[in-house]
Amino acid sequence: MLKKIPWWLGGILMALLLLFTFSVLGANRPIGASTYVPYFAGIIFDLDPEKYTYLKEIHNPGSWEGVMLLGVLVGAFLNAVFVTKTFGFTVVPAAWKKYKNNSAVSRLLWSFIGGFFLIIGARLAGGCTSGHFLSGMTQTAFSSMIFGAVVMATLIITGKLFYKERK
Amino acid sequence: MMYDKDTGMFDRILSMFATVQDEGHGSVLLVFLIGVVFGSIIQYTKVHKFEKIAGFSMLKDTVVPKMLFLAIGLASIGLYFMIEAGWASYHLKPIMLGGLIIGGAIFGIAMAIFGKCPGTGPISVAEGRIDIMVGAIGGILGGLVFTLYYDQFKMIMGPNFGKLSLTQYFEGHESLTVLIFGLVLIAISIAIPLIEETDDEDPGYQK
Repeated sequence: MLKKIPWWLGGILMALLLLFTFSVLGANRPIGASTYVPYFAGIIFDLDPEKYTYLKEIHNPGSWEGVMLLGVLVGAFLNAVFVTKTFGFTVVPAAWKKYKNNSAVSRLLWSFIGGFFLIIGARLAGGCTSGHFLSGMTQTAFSSMIFGAVVMATLIITGKLFYKERK
Repeated sequence: MMYDKDTGMFDRILSMFATVQDEGHGSVLLVFLIGVVFGSIIQYTKVHKFEKIAGFSMLKDTVVPKMLFLAIGLASIGLYFMIEAGWASYHLKPIMLGGLIIGGAIFGIAMAIFGKCPGTGPISVAEGRIDIMVGAIGGILGGLVFTLYYDQFKMIMGPNFGKLSLTQYFEGHESLTVLIFGLVLIAISIAIPLIEETDDEDPGYQK
C-alpha cells in the first residue's frame, strides 16, 4: 500500500485542507496546533480555568485543537500500524546518531528541554508552524511573516552550531 | 479523593467535546477528521521526522520548506478569493512584536534541537518515538509554566502593532498583491533544490 507521497502532493493537499478548514463549509477558522498543549496542561494539573486568565482565554481554541489533536493521534497510530508500518519504540533518531551522538540519555535530555522551550516559544509568539506559518501566512499576516523569518533564521543558526557530521 | 480527581478530569474532557460542538466551528466529528487528514498528510510526506526538521536546520533536507512554501502559496491565493466570495473570513493574529521575536527565536532554537514542532510531535508519539514522548512531557510542563506565569510573560510580549496583513497594506490592489505573494512563494518552493536526509532504520522510509 501507499507509504509515502511526494512533497508537492503534500503541499497541494495541505493547501486544500487549509482552505476547507477556513471555509464556512468546514470550520470557519484557521488550523492551529500549539494552544492544545497548555489546554491539556490545565486539565492534567487540574488548574481552575476561573483562576487562570490564560486558561480562560484559550478555553475555546484549546478545546478545538484538543479534538483535532485526538484525530491526529488516532489517525497517525492507525496509519503507523496498518499502512506505513512505521510503528516501533525507538529512542535515538538516525540523524541524531549521525550528527550528534549515540547517547540515549543525551537525546532524551535534549528532547525534554526542546519540548519545554518549544511550547514556551510558541505561546509567547501566539502560534507555531501551523498557526503562524501555514494559517497566518496564508492570510498574508505580517505577524506570521515576522515569526517565520525569526524561526527560519534561528533554526538554521542552531542547526549549524548544534550538529556536526561525526567521523 | 482520587475518584473525585478522576471524575474532574473526565468531566473536563467531556466539556472539551461539548465546547467544540456548541462553538460552531465544525462538529466534533468534522474537527476530529480535520486532525486525521492533517496528521496523515504530514505522516505520508514524512515531514514530521527528525531527519526532515533537524535535517532542514542543517540544510541537509529541504522537503519541509518546499512543502510549506507550496502550501502557503497556493492557499493564500485560494483563501483571498474565498473571502471575496464570502465563503471564509480573516482570522489575523496581532503583531505582538516582543512575543513574536523572543518567542520565535526560542521556538526556532527548540525546533532545531527537538526536531519537531507542536503539530508534528504527536505523530511521532503515535509512532512510538520515546524521545518525543519525553519531549511532550517537557512541552506540557512548558504549557503549565506559561499558564502559571502568564502575567509575567505578557510583559515581554508587546508592543501590539495590531492585526495587519500585506493585502490590507496594499489597499486597492489586494488581488494583485495576493497573486504576486502566492506566485513568489510557489516559485521559491520550486526553486529550492530537493535534498533529502534519509533514515535507513525506518522500515516505512522509502524514497
